[in-house]
Amino acid sequence: MISLNTENSRDTKLDLANLTAEQTALEVKNLDLYYGSKQALFDVSMKIPKGQVTAFIGPSGCGKSTLLRCINRMNDLVDICKISGEIMLHGQNIYDKSVDVAALRRNVGMVFQRPNPFPKSIYENVVYGLRLQGIKDRRVLDEAVERSLRGAALWEEVKDRLHENAFGLSGGQQQRLVIARAIAIEPEVLLLDEPTSALDPISTLTIEELINDLKSRYTVVIVTHNMQQAARVSDQTAFMYMGDMVEYADTNTLFTTPAKKQTEDYITGRYG
Amino acid sequence: MDKLNMNKHISGQFNAELDHVRNQIMAMGGLVEQQLKDALSLLSRPDAELVNKVITTDSKVNSFEVAIDEECTRIIAKRQPAASDLRIVMAIIKTIADLERIGDAAESIARMVERNMDKPFKASLTSLEHLGQHTAKMLHDVLDGFARMDVETAWQVHQEDKKVDKEYERLIRELMTYMMEDPRSIPQVLDALAAARAIERVGDRCQNIAEYIIYFVRGKDIRHLAGDEVEKLL
Repeated sequence: MISLNTENSRDTKLDLANLTAEQTALEVKNLDLYYGSKQALFDVSMKIPKGQVTAFIGPSGCGKSTLLRCINRMNDLVDICKISGEIMLHGQNIYDKSVDVAALRRNVGMVFQRPNPFPKSIYENVVYGLRLQGIKDRRVLDEAVERSLRGAALWEEVKDRLHENAFGLSGGQQQRLVIARAIAIEPEVLLLDEPTSALDPISTLTIEELINDLKSRYTVVIVTHNMQQAARVSDQTAFMYMGDMVEYADTNTLFTTPAKKQTEDYITGRYG
Repeated sequence: MDKLNMNKHISGQFNAELDHVRNQIMAMGGLVEQQLKDALSLLSRPDAELVNKVITTDSKVNSFEVAIDEECTRIIAKRQPAASDLRIVMAIIKTIADLERIGDAAESIARMVERNMDKPFKASLTSLEHLGQHTAKMLHDVLDGFARMDVETAWQVHQEDKKVDKEYERLIRELMTYMMEDPRSIPQVLDALAAARAIERVGDRCQNIAEYIIYFVRGKDIRHLAGDEVEKLL
């Protein structure tokens, strides 16, 4: 039988259970997470492939955002949160005591639901992370601004007003600015927590288009409430329910022939 | 895969739309089945009135196809169906195309009878009728399988087509003998050949519909696979 578009990466199925070290960006191993006495994640294990978009979907409270936040240790900020299990990045467990959390977060950038630019100019927003690293060379900063804004598909719209306040941008532009800020420091992994839920449909499509471009340089992990969005932008999709990873498969399979009934019920809107 | 749950969308409207399109396709199937039966009965009892009925039914079948197609397009645009919902919509779109062609086959049999109405038509009509009954049974069973979304029935129909193909080959040989025995019969035998071909294609189309049923229920595309490969998949 002829298979179409075998050269397009979206159509090459990875064997998710048996990714080689080369193909793997992150590996989650037997992750349990408790908020106080309430367990929010149950023995989650998965390999997230490099240079691809992986989406987490599931109903509210299923643990998808919690899992995403584990990947750059955002849950460290929650006092009652207790974690066991491992998340491996470059063969090292990011929960190991020797890990420098600031360095981890340079490697694993994050974008949130609501655009959160700093009350500074567009330029200063983008170079914020670089300045924190002590980079002062004007030429390096200028280059980073252009590269990042181009990378976030925002350059053409703002190149003539880089020194204006970022709050003057529209919601969709602000979200792309935040993405530019995240990629300015060249992370390997980009975590997107419902990046378009506060945006209008056109801005949403722009961001989705951007996600598709980003994966050539970064590994993208996205949490979304919008199933069609997961279907459109991701290569792999993980369906979570009540803290369990119910099904993790390539997106084409998951949205046409899911293996589990729970997945089927959720993506066809029969959940509840 | 677990048993599919056909009726419990959160959106009641979506349920209603899917139910409606499922009812429509059953109605269309019933119409085509009657049309084919009528056309086949013409082979033994030519009847101008029935010929007319078969031919006019075809336009009704055609409008069913257009209406169901439109409704499926609307569902895709508005509901973005996924998984089994997507598979049922795809299966319906393909099934109605095959049903419509079965209707065309019935019509062409009726027209063939009409052309030969006043000629003594002895060229192996019983064999033609027998082949016809065989495919009519396939159509009946596959529609029944579609109504219940039953893989077992679908697979039986699917395998039945091999027998129809054999029967068709036998019939061709028989018709060739008639032509050799009496060249004057050739024009009529050619007509009978065309009808036999149309009937044989009905079997193929029932086989297609059986494949769509299996695709919907199991999510497996069994087209162009050998029998034992399919057995393994199911």
